[in-house]
Amino acid sequence: MMFFAVLVLSMFVSLIIQHFIGPLPYIEARVLLMPIIMFYGALALPLPGMLTLTFLGGLMWDALNTQHVDAAVEISAGWSIILFASLGAIMSGFRPLFLRGRWEIHCLLTGVCTSVLVLAEYLMITIRRQPVHFIFNDEVWWRIGGAGLAAAFLAPLIFFIFNYLAALTGYELQPERPEPKI
Amino acid sequence: MKQRMHIAAVVAFVILVTVTFIVLGQGHTTQRLQSAFLGMISPFLKQGSSLDRKYTEMREGLKSLKRLEEDNKRLTIANKDLSATNQTLRDMEAENNKLRNALGYRERSVFKLMPARIIARDADTWYQTVKIDRGMAEGVRKDMPVLTEEGLVGKTTVVSDHAATVILIADENCGVAANIEGSNHKGIVRGERLPNRGIPAIGLGLLSKDANLTSGQKVYSSGVGGVFPSGVLIGAVKEFQVRQLEGYATLVPAVDLTTIDDVFVVISGSK
Repeated sequence: MMFFAVLVLSMFVSLIIQHFIGPLPYIEARVLLMPIIMFYGALALPLPGMLTLTFLGGLMWDALNTQHVDAAVEISAGWSIILFASLGAIMSGFRPLFLRGRWEIHCLLTGVCTSVLVLAEYLMITIRRQPVHFIFNDEVWWRIGGAGLAAAFLAPLIFFIFNYLAALTGYELQPERPEPKI
Repeated sequence: MKQRMHIAAVVAFVILVTVTFIVLGQGHTTQRLQSAFLGMISPFLKQGSSLDRKYTEMREGLKSLKRLEEDNKRLTIANKDLSATNQTLRDMEAENNKLRNALGYRERSVFKLMPARIIARDADTWYQTVKIDRGMAEGVRKDMPVLTEEGLVGKTTVVSDHAATVILIADENCGVAANIEGSNHKGIVRGERLPNRGIPAIGLGLLSKDANLTSGQKVYSSGVGGVFPSGVLIGAVKEFQVRQLEGYATLVPAVDLTTIDDVFVVISGSK
């Protein structure tokens, strides 16, 4: 419970910190810290915890990022919860490997999932804006891919910090073993 | 047992998400949630912005003496130049006010302004927004125009007690009805979806194909739509092109949207 609270608080703080990290030079991609923490949570927590975390994460994300211009809302509040939960579920599928101490694939996957998140937002915006123009030039791909690359680079450090915090708060990363058959 | 717990968790999650969609489906509930969340984070953003400024000032303070001397010389010349310009502008303002009085437009054109400081630039990938340190307590409301002495910046969207989000004119979502200097043509200024190498790009669309605008022509808000006041400079024409259905001009924004720190919110149409 304590570790869960630490994760939620960290997600909140990371949303604030993100404002002070400018876009990456040349490629203009953003460094998105909050999804990295959320994906770590998806690996570290069991399914109910992961779902609760993605719910809170999605809600915070939408509370900050949903844009109301006139009467139009492009990405309706609530969609990020579904996005985060879907991507969290994918990460959760790789949980057994993570609990065995193998992080490499999860760090890469964090990058991929972050890119998918940015891509999904772009597609939603594109579909809602009239007339629909699917602009997919280098700049768009760099923004999508760059956010993922930044997340993949930062993931090992953030995973390390949160593993330490897990130990500090007494949270044990334990595999969910199937119940023995009687 | 564990499997049952997982199924129960998924069912509870689906119900919770459905309820969230229903509740947040009403625009005003989302606005209230966003306003509350902005209120929660704004003290941290203000603190962070203040630290950021102090750090920048400290770095600036480390300039060499030679550089400072050069700056001083340059600024003295600039000061003289600005004093002269200021005097000219004062004369023009007096003349302008006289003409506006004569036309009866004075009430519409003289704004009551609330100074505000930008405390954060948005971390979102696809939107062009900033956050300012003024909110409802200072009289700021949704859909109020934001400008600087150089020109139009954008309008407020989400407003909390002591902070507000401003959507910039460089965002594709922020449309401004516009007039063109020396022309009867009218159009809509919108941001382009992708800034050019980080430099916000805006364009004037829905123009007649025979508008034939020339580079340097100034573009002003027309006041149509009721959000933006008329006569505020938006930018200057960079290039005019004829598209399949419309004339389109790329503009150079009057305000450098990447570096502004201080803005004014037009809290009422007249003083």
